[in-house]
Amino acid sequence: MPRKNPESFLPLKSNWFQILVSLVDGEQHGYGIMQEVWERTDGKVRLWPATLYGSLKRLIDNGLIVESGERPAPEFDDSRRRYYKLTSLGKRVVDLESQRLRDLVRILDAKRRREARS
Amino acid sequence: MNNWLSGCNQIYRRLAHAFPHEFRMVCGDGLEQLGVDVIPLIWREQGVPGLLCCFADLALRLPLEYLSTWARKMRDITMTGDLFEGTWKAKNDESQWDPKYAPEQACMRFEATDDGYLLVAYGIKDGQAVAERPTRIIPDGRRRPIVDLNGRPVPGVPPGALTFGTQPDPHTIEASAEANGNVLGKGTYVVSADGQTLTVTTEGVGLKGPFKVHAVFERVVPDPFVPQS
Repeated sequence: MPRKNPESFLPLKSNWFQILVSLVDGEQHGYGIMQEVWERTDGKVRLWPATLYGSLKRLIDNGLIVESGERPAPEFDDSRRRYYKLTSLGKRVVDLESQRLRDLVRILDAKRRREARS
Repeated sequence: MNNWLSGCNQIYRRLAHAFPHEFRMVCGDGLEQLGVDVIPLIWREQGVPGLLCCFADLALRLPLEYLSTWARKMRDITMTGDLFEGTWKAKNDESQWDPKYAPEQACMRFEATDDGYLLVAYGIKDGQAVAERPTRIIPDGRRRPIVDLNGRPVPGVPPGALTFGTQPDPHTIEASAEANGNVLGKGTYVVSADGQTLTVTTEGVGLKGPFKVHAVFERVVPDPFVPQS
């Protein structure tokens, strides 16, 4: 399979980025991702189920995440669920998108500082 | 209210279950399971507007996923630009194999070459993986000696045996082999109008005696021999 260039995914779709950020800590299932995004964004972003699974499917198709074969410790495991985790390509894409957003914020801050001075 | 929520759950499950097979292959029953967990949660946190959004999301995504699946299949099919090229898997329930040659599983692969096709047949017979010698089909009507891919004589083929192929229309290839004016074998390969079905009719004399086969194959999508992006 030809190796994909991580840059080619940028700018990353907002839903994809939210999901990838949820997986940075480790593997997670669909419900966990949905709740994490909801709580992290103070209820501003709700990944509805079909959108969430549509995005998960496309992230898998593009090699950014994979279904994890490993299960959490039994006391934390929910056997009904599939767990997903970042691939090395997914990690690289998250890093690049974060950098892109940081650069954007830096440019915005610089403009505001210039505006304030003038 | 419990009846209301269980009704919502049922509708949700039916909608989730209607998603394309390809979608469900990747996501499993995750989408259905998620509904069981989130319907009460959404009801508690967002009430009726939340549930409406949830169902609208499902209802909008459903046709989109079918469109996406269909577009992907079309892309896979049209990627080769050739009706025959690709991998085909036999549908044994629609095929009539000669008992001497009946396989448990059979596949064919057509590779386009500069002047025709390279045909490889493989499968499982009597529990063993088997593969036939790759055959070149050059459908230009010219007779050529039957040789292997390195131009050497093929064991078991009578000296002076010739092969020739024709393509009477874009959907049909005919191939024959003969020796001293006698037909050793002939085959017809016909691809359906939608490019999804290949019907193969062959007859002749093999190592185990005469044979006659009418086999129906379906295109394998995505092609396992083509790297998927």
